[in-house]
Amino acid sequence: MIYDAAMIPTYICGIVAVYAVIRILTEKKTLKKLVFLNVMNFAITGLIVLSIPDIMVLLAGIAYFVGSTLEANAIASTYAGGVANE
Amino acid sequence: MNPELILGFIILLAGVAATAFPRERDYISRLIHVEIAATGLMLVMLAYNETIALLTFVAVTAIATIVLIRVIERGEPCD
Amino acid sequence: MNEFYIAILSLIALLGVISVYFKKSPFDKLIGLAIMMGGVIPLIVIKGYLDVAILVAIIMPLTTIFILQATGRNTDES
Repeated sequence: MIYDAAMIPTYICGIVAVYAVIRILTEKKTLKKLVFLNVMNFAITGLIVLSIPDIMVLLAGIAYFVGSTLEANAIASTYAGGVANE
Repeated sequence: MNPELILGFIILLAGVAATAFPRERDYISRLIHVEIAATGLMLVMLAYNETIALLTFVAVTAIATIVLIRVIERGEPCD
Repeated sequence: MNEFYIAILSLIALLGVISVYFKKSPFDKLIGLAIMMGGVIPLIVIKGYLDVAILVAIIMPLTTIFILQATGRNTDES
């Protein structure tokens, strides 16, 4: 692959995303999967923001980050017993 | 060919096959597999240049999922 | 640059589909659905449809929360 100094953050984000997905697939407990799901969300947000030179891509990155973090924490909250259980 | 079109067809066929033959016979499992098929169809529609059709398809899929969840919750338990 | 994106995101989406099909618990299936959506949304962004990407990113946790409402494990309720 051609060496380019401007592409190093993209490569780092992609490698981190694939590593997080492989760790999710080979994990037994559900609460440990959710930690690496958050790692994958950070890496995918980096890939979205670094993709095309447009100013509207920042808004898409913000929307994806908020939505995916809310989703992962909703799954974790329901798995741990819910709000009304305490 | 377009790479999104090929990936969309692969995901669509995998979702339809998983919906027809699920590993455990449960309503929630089948509903999640229907979500996979809807995502594949969205990728297939992404290969053509129609923005309004894509927006309408995404919104109607979400509404259909909510309606099916309401049906499953108050129905009788599955076999 | 574009080939790297296509390869990485296609791999993530296919691994998400495999993870949805071969897990048994509904929570693991929802985690696989989140992985698959994380592979699909950057494909929409690099195609150029920013408004469709924003709409999908807003609607995705909403339908997940509605599925969680049906599969919630009610431990000591009722």
